[in-house]
Amino acid sequence: MTGTTPLGAIFDLNVPAHYLSWHFIQISVPNFVVIVLMIVVFVAALLIPFPKREREP
Amino acid sequence: MPDPVKPPAFPDERAPWPGPFVRYDLVKELVVALGVVLAVVVALTVLFSSPDEPPVTIQSWSKAAPADFLGVAVSELNRTSGVATYGPPYNEGTGSVQKIGPISLQEAAGVKVPIETAKDYVLEPLHEVPGAPRLRAALAAYEQAPAALQEKWAANYEKALPEARFVAGVPVLPPGRYGPVAPMMASLLAMGQSGALDGALLAGGHHFYATDYTKPLLFVSAGEYFEKLAEHQHLLGTQWGMMNETGSYPGQVWLWLFSFWYQVEPFKSSSNADALIFMVMGVLSLAFICIPFIPGLNRLPRRLGVYRLIWRDHYREVES
Repeated sequence: MTGTTPLGAIFDLNVPAHYLSWHFIQISVPNFVVIVLMIVVFVAALLIPFPKREREP
Repeated sequence: MPDPVKPPAFPDERAPWPGPFVRYDLVKELVVALGVVLAVVVALTVLFSSPDEPPVTIQSWSKAAPADFLGVAVSELNRTSGVATYGPPYNEGTGSVQKIGPISLQEAAGVKVPIETAKDYVLEPLHEVPGAPRLRAALAAYEQAPAALQEKWAANYEKALPEARFVAGVPVLPPGRYGPVAPMMASLLAMGQSGALDGALLAGGHHFYATDYTKPLLFVSAGEYFEKLAEHQHLLGTQWGMMNETGSYPGQVWLWLFSFWYQVEPFKSSSNADALIFMVMGVLSLAFICIPFIPGLNRLPRRLGVYRLIWRDHYREVES
């Protein structure tokens, strides 16, 4: 049945995640990465200037 | 270029726009946004695929942990399981009824998904087994026996279960007074391992489309096997499990506040945790919606001045 074997993803995430612990707080590394990415996107949205357009009189 | 005029604090909304105009193609933006999102989705799919955890079924559970399966099954038969004593919406029990002070929304809603554990999980599925004269005789003996004797047989079986051996998949218990419960449980285990019990519980309502997984899910979740799998994947409530996903995929990050309350006292050790947290989150959500009307809080955007950072070019121009 090798002909019907589906292609795997380039990065296999179907393995147990690593967890960060601090006192009672536990968060998975994937969730932490998503939160960091959201903060990066938020800061970028604040700081990246709007594209300049020609203004009509 | 004319000097920019500082806009009044409360402009007349009916007056024509006094500022400059900019060309804007809404359709073009929509097409570009859709294209970008599609490209990102395809790229992420190729890179990471999606969670592929095999489903836990009654068949996989009864094969992997037959003693755990039998322990749950006999407690369903004896009506001592968590589901049997749960309360609304499944039955009139009080084992898991939650209250906020004197008010119980759970009881107010009433029994909406009636489950009679002995009938639904054991007796009815066993009646569906074709042929099997010994099983028919055992079922008849059980159903005709007085309730006290039924309870005694099931309690004896439950007590002896930790010493059970499995010979070619068949449970063998130390000699004891189990009555017809022993052959009934052996048949139910065989039914579970064949996959027939999954189908029987799904089709229990005799609907054409069998999509209601309430009964099989409640049955499987009563076992230690399921709980250990969840613990291994960090999905328990005590592990911030609401936020997590199977494997190394990101989960429901936005549920952080719901998950947080379950980790701290007094909710952590409260038997009313769900109802209390439901109330706390309701109050907080209402407060969030009402921020524009809460004195002090509604001035926060002005005090923080983030809008000045976003529109910094405009304010630089206006103030220069």
